[in-house]
Amino acid sequence: MKNEKKKLTRRDFIRGTVGATLGASLVGLNWSKAKGATAGSSLVTIVRDKDAMDAAKNVNSDVVKNMLDQTLIKFTGKNSVKDAWLSLVKPSDKIGLVPTPHLNPTHEELVTAVKSSLIESGIPEENISNAQGGPDKPKACTALIALPALKAHWLTGLGTVMKIYVLYTGNARQYHEQNNSKLGETWTLPYVKGKTKLVLVDALYPLCDKGPQPDPRYKWAYNGLIAGTDPVAVDTVCLKIIMNKREALRGEPWPLSPPPLCVEAADKVYGLGTSQIENIKIEHYGWNEDLLL
Amino acid sequence: MRISSKAVSSVSIIIILILAILAGVILKMKTTAIRLPETLGPWTKPDSPQIVTSANIFDYMDGAGELYIGYRFNHLEVYEYTSDSQDDILVELYFMDTSDDAFGLLSLDWGGEPVALSSAQENSSTSSKAQFSRALYGEGLLRIWSDELYARVMAYRETPEAKEAVLTIGRAIAANQKNLPGPEIVEFLSPFIESEWRLRKDRTRFFRSYLVLNSIYYISPQNILDLDLSVDAVTAPYEKTTESGDRERIRFLLVKYIDPDSAQQALGHFHEAFLPEYKKGFSAASAIQEPLFFEVEDSWLGYRLHGSYLAIVFDCPDQESARKIIHHNISNIKEKEETIEK
Repeated sequence: MKNEKKKLTRRDFIRGTVGATLGASLVGLNWSKAKGATAGSSLVTIVRDKDAMDAAKNVNSDVVKNMLDQTLIKFTGKNSVKDAWLSLVKPSDKIGLVPTPHLNPTHEELVTAVKSSLIESGIPEENISNAQGGPDKPKACTALIALPALKAHWLTGLGTVMKIYVLYTGNARQYHEQNNSKLGETWTLPYVKGKTKLVLVDALYPLCDKGPQPDPRYKWAYNGLIAGTDPVAVDTVCLKIIMNKREALRGEPWPLSPPPLCVEAADKVYGLGTSQIENIKIEHYGWNEDLLL
Repeated sequence: MRISSKAVSSVSIIIILILAILAGVILKMKTTAIRLPETLGPWTKPDSPQIVTSANIFDYMDGAGELYIGYRFNHLEVYEYTSDSQDDILVELYFMDTSDDAFGLLSLDWGGEPVALSSAQENSSTSSKAQFSRALYGEGLLRIWSDELYARVMAYRETPEAKEAVLTIGRAIAANQKNLPGPEIVEFLSPFIESEWRLRKDRTRFFRSYLVLNSIYYISPQNILDLDLSVDAVTAPYEKTTESGDRERIRFLLVKYIDPDSAQQALGHFHEAFLPEYKKGFSAASAIQEPLFFEVEDSWLGYRLHGSYLAIVFDCPDQESARKIIHHNISNIKEKEETIEK
């Protein structure tokens, strides 16, 4: 008998049946089991400092370091940066830092700040590596720190947290076409699952239109770091900031196209966390202007 | 079974010949005599460009490569002007197979400040009906449609000096170009529908790929309209302001397939995926004589086939609006066909 899969269309999006249609159509996934699963904590912290970049968009490394310290302490509730890191990782961990490599990449200053902070907290330098790249990278790690940059993406709507591990599949192109909603599965690869100890989004200078290549007209100084351990919750907050910025630019709703199905699917199909903004506890510290939330 | 060394030798020669021919085809790149300035104030051009083809475009730009191979892409030449005192200037020259494809890339965003890079551009227009900019500048980025060439020239940091350098490079790119007209299919869009609906010319996009369509107006993650490099497609919204001051927006899509059979087949695939509840008794051929309309969620959808053309309207507030928009735009195609016949 011919196995006809229902095709997802714009109408599913309008009717709010994306989750069900995706779940029914994604091959080999027992979506009903995943549905409703949630991560442990859906706290998301946002730390901003208006001096994180100067007028020419040069990053102030000292300010970023302070923002990182504040993020770690506020997010974990620990008294020191060292205790904060040690509540997330072990000194024996092989820690991979995973920045966004292309198109509005993660600022090097942030990657350096994270590495220095880990070393100062007692993690041996030789245990820390840049783990962006092919499947061998995460296989060599016991813990991952995801460091995506905040950006819209022309193939997936949003190209921030859910997309950060796409190179780990060894075939990123397979997610460029109809399978972009399946990005959640990159977080469930056997050599990735359970290794992410912190998601720390570089929201210093985000890109709010999909590109596909950076257009400076759609970048702005948000000067923020966004952190959490629920990747879907962090992506949901990122999405809200991007959407609010787009509306502010045009003076009317400016939907992302394609819609960022990967975020909703990560929740409803893959059970990686929550995409319901009302279920996310957002804590904000520092500069309050144009928070976009 | 033993194969003689003579036979092996003959086969080897044939294989080498085939590979040589293939290599020749692959290496056959469009070349255009563009003379970029060697130096510009503190900036210096590299001696040779980085060459990017469809074979390595994903190495160069990750998933963004899907955009360019969604058009008829030949190759890309990349230059990075460097300076000791200023940030670099990136020059990307996208050599496309047709002017329509270069137009399509620029059409994806008509925002920015229009700039005339040559006296010919100042005097040229894409048609009597619709005039489109050929070069747009914004915050350090200059985008150019210059015949078969689409170019991006970007100062990593915008300064007055960098802006002048970017525009100077732009003028060099646009020099000696013929300023070819835009795609014919774009000409068929009526700017107004009975003074009620107004075309958003600034959101008129030309494309060939369903991925590009989805980035403009999301239809489906599958290619349910059979779009590929053989089609010409244009989409734009029509808007009207209601008596209460609200703005209503309709999405119009016009696709020209390679022949009428392909258009009919594509409509069949679209209908099956997008309108499954109207599957019973469906025949794509019935859309040749007159438009068909369907109530979906809180709006109306209509479509009509005309020869190789398929016209679809989405998000219509009522059936009559859908009918008017299809009628006016298909009439423009018929008018052109009658002119040619005469």
